[in-house]
Amino acid sequence: MITKQLIEHIEGEASVYFDMDGKKVDFATVVFPHFRGMESFLEKKNALDALVITPRVCGICGHAHLMATVRALEDAYKNGGYEVIPTQKANTIREFTLVMEMIQNHFKWLYMVIMPELSKLIDKPFTQKPLKGAYASSLASKAIALFGGQWPHSSYMIVGGVTCDPTYMEILQATSFVEELVKFFEKECLGVSLENFLAFESCKDFQGVESDIATLEATLIDLDMQKKGFAHDRFLVLGTHNFSSIGKLKGTRTFHVDPKFVTTIQAYTPHEKTYAYNALYKDEYYETGSLARMISSNESIVKNMHRRYKDSAYSRVMARIFELALLLQHGRSILNTLDVTQDSVVKVEDIHNITAKGIGVVEAPRGPLVHEISLKNGLIESYKIITPTQFNIGSSTREKPTPVQKAMQGISKDEAEFIFRTFDVCSVCTTH
Amino acid sequence: MARITKEERKQGIINAALQLFSERGFYITTIPDIAQKVGMSVGNFYNYFTSKDILAKELIIYISEYLGQSIREINEEDISTEQKIHKIVSMYFAMAEEKPEMIEYFLRVYLSNREVFADGCEGMICVSPFVTEMMIFFNDGVEKDELHNQDFFSAFGLFMGYLGGMVFLFGEKILPEPLDNYKDSISQNIYNALKTRD
Amino acid sequence: MHSKLETKKPKLLWLQGLTCNGNTHSFLNLNSLDTLLEQFEILYFPAFATDYTYEDILTCKLSCDVLIFEGTYDSTLQRGGILLADVLQHYAKSAKYIIGAGTCASFGGMFAEMNPQNKSGLLFKKGEWVTTFEMYKEKIINLSGCPMHPEWMAYTLQMILHHKTILLDELYRPQELYGYLSHHGCTRNEYFEWKVDAKNFGTKEGCLFYEQGCRGPMTHASCNKILWNEVSSKTRIGTPCLGCTESDFPRTHFFTTKTNMSIPQDIPFDVPKRSYLTMVGIAKTFHIKRLEGKLIDYKTTH
Repeated sequence: MITKQLIEHIEGEASVYFDMDGKKVDFATVVFPHFRGMESFLEKKNALDALVITPRVCGICGHAHLMATVRALEDAYKNGGYEVIPTQKANTIREFTLVMEMIQNHFKWLYMVIMPELSKLIDKPFTQKPLKGAYASSLASKAIALFGGQWPHSSYMIVGGVTCDPTYMEILQATSFVEELVKFFEKECLGVSLENFLAFESCKDFQGVESDIATLEATLIDLDMQKKGFAHDRFLVLGTHNFSSIGKLKGTRTFHVDPKFVTTIQAYTPHEKTYAYNALYKDEYYETGSLARMISSNESIVKNMHRRYKDSAYSRVMARIFELALLLQHGRSILNTLDVTQDSVVKVEDIHNITAKGIGVVEAPRGPLVHEISLKNGLIESYKIITPTQFNIGSSTREKPTPVQKAMQGISKDEAEFIFRTFDVCSVCTTH
Repeated sequence: MARITKEERKQGIINAALQLFSERGFYITTIPDIAQKVGMSVGNFYNYFTSKDILAKELIIYISEYLGQSIREINEEDISTEQKIHKIVSMYFAMAEEKPEMIEYFLRVYLSNREVFADGCEGMICVSPFVTEMMIFFNDGVEKDELHNQDFFSAFGLFMGYLGGMVFLFGEKILPEPLDNYKDSISQNIYNALKTRD
Repeated sequence: MHSKLETKKPKLLWLQGLTCNGNTHSFLNLNSLDTLLEQFEILYFPAFATDYTYEDILTCKLSCDVLIFEGTYDSTLQRGGILLADVLQHYAKSAKYIIGAGTCASFGGMFAEMNPQNKSGLLFKKGEWVTTFEMYKEKIINLSGCPMHPEWMAYTLQMILHHKTILLDELYRPQELYGYLSHHGCTRNEYFEWKVDAKNFGTKEGCLFYEQGCRGPMTHASCNKILWNEVSSKTRIGTPCLGCTESDFPRTHFFTTKTNMSIPQDIPFDVPKRSYLTMVGIAKTFHIKRLEGKLIDYKTTH
């Protein structure tokens, strides 16, 4: 029996078609019904217009798109014979704002998606207010705005560096916001200090803690989420940053990766037309996002968790919480390394002299974001965008399911809906 | 007999000054010379212009405004850029023939004695009415897609340098034919240099 | 222009067309958002759950007092299998206020550029009037911006709560918000006054109008008055204003100023070109040493 379930309160819209075997999900396909046509819109435009257009693919991760565009452009410059090397100051500022956007995403997902969705599965609903997540996110946005001018949609990264030229005033203000955010996280969400949390050896260390996250962890265990939601136990991290380590992982064995092996194919959705494409690496499906990054970076608490619970829904959710803590710590520390006397932007060749292809890869909150650009005399000939949701939430056949499809098999429909969300779908990104 | 107004008196001084500077040269001409030509006392003269330097600057502003106004009238006509170029050249050459003292003042006094104008006429302040109209002319030409886009000074230098050079040659009596005979070919050359490329 | 509301909480409904969700996320940054939202009965909001599901909303059995629409309107778009046009018409009829959140809802914006047929804002497609929701024009308020500023939505909702009339401009945007130019309050104003161009990006000094394509003097917005995220703005940190509140957004050739013979094609609103050029010509003559140097001299040791 096929049931269609409309998924709401995600970025955009998606539907899941459940093929039930009694009370259990036998198989599911995912449909993204909208299309905006941004890739063809970018054709024939000035290359620099992409810095304004691609962030508008998505309201919650526009910054990641901006960085992917600027990296793709700089890669094109390199392939065109005019390598661009931004200063350490510019790279640090770019990374800081990206980290803040990621933190912002994680908070919103926790409070506005995961906790409310989990509460549907138990008798007692959570009393946490969703807007707690929004408050934390607004603090992160302030830190971004000090360098980017505003959040969302700043367009402050350009070829060769960044448009801003901050003083220590901005750096100190940003540091204050991060500290406030850490305090909020510790007091209102975590129930323990950040340092203690990052020193946890296993999730047993949550015992005795009273907080939103401790309750979340306990509820996941009560619902046996550590025994459900398994995907292929294969992970992919493609974006190079100081907080990630690129690689392809099968279980915990790491392999070398190259973005050129990413391909996309039409999704398989027998019940309704979809506009999304599935993303594969060397013709296989891989999970991306926080869990992938944490395992790839060898974070011991996540490795311990993975040893016991593999890539269950529990691991997926808890990994993101651990990443949130790590990113807060990382954000704090990189601000200290900023040298205001360095240049914000290096001299670059006139873009009209660039005829070349380039690839820009960024770790967005949900996984790798790939932008492929082809320039001719500074004009865009073609532009391709591959989003992390295409890796995680593709729709394929029974014989070769995508991570989310595999994870939803063999459980109840309600649980499957929850597990679907543990992958954090960004539908607007996927239907660009 | 009607009373002569202050404005008319001032205009009289301007005309006289330009004549004398043209005939005898800027440094040789004195305030008493000008006052005598106009028929007023030196003391009264100082009621209109407090010094020779002030007079010098006012003259250049006067000429700029005159040129600026003439070009503005041409700018506002509903004709092609090619036709406007012809009209500007014709107007400029006509001025050189009929009121040589004005153009001569610009070329031989203003451009050649920068030290006189250093204080109070820095850069293009005093010729601003004229330069603004040329900016409008170029802007409109590019907007209408009749002139190709380039740096302002490249275009301005071509246009004004060319005209100034021709008028200079005319003043030196080197040109074999009347200035008016050159306006068609010169307008054509200017248009060909500035027009849009295919 | 706007009728009084009942004393019980007004019902608020937030619907979306083709969107990136940027306006939703911008709104979530509002200080004291929960206090504001508590004064409404929220029927539906994209980011968190309410008492109604999306399917409840789409069956059109409810009505609302304040309808907020985010995103480009596409007459062929379906949401949950139901034609959005029908849903919008239903709620627009009973709503007392209709707010277009963002440039897409106001003028068509970014997503009306792609396969433009069937797409527009509520009342305008770029600057041209469209008749689809014309019958509701008395109740429509446009909060253009890509995204809109959260304070602009807060202003509008609070004016509604206090039964105040909102003065609108000819593009249906609140004058108290859009009467300012994004140029007003930029920290680089002195450089604009004395025509000191920024030589490149990434500097504290210099005006971005002459070469970097800043649309500040031609854009109606209060970004440099209210500031973004309560701390900053694009132009303050060195990104040119992109003109995102105007009906012609998105333009092209961002980050560069279009010039005709070195003369900016677009100049500040309602300033005659002659006046502007005279001013520029004079100002550019002067070389003010202080303004041509660095604001802060990091290299001098004490």
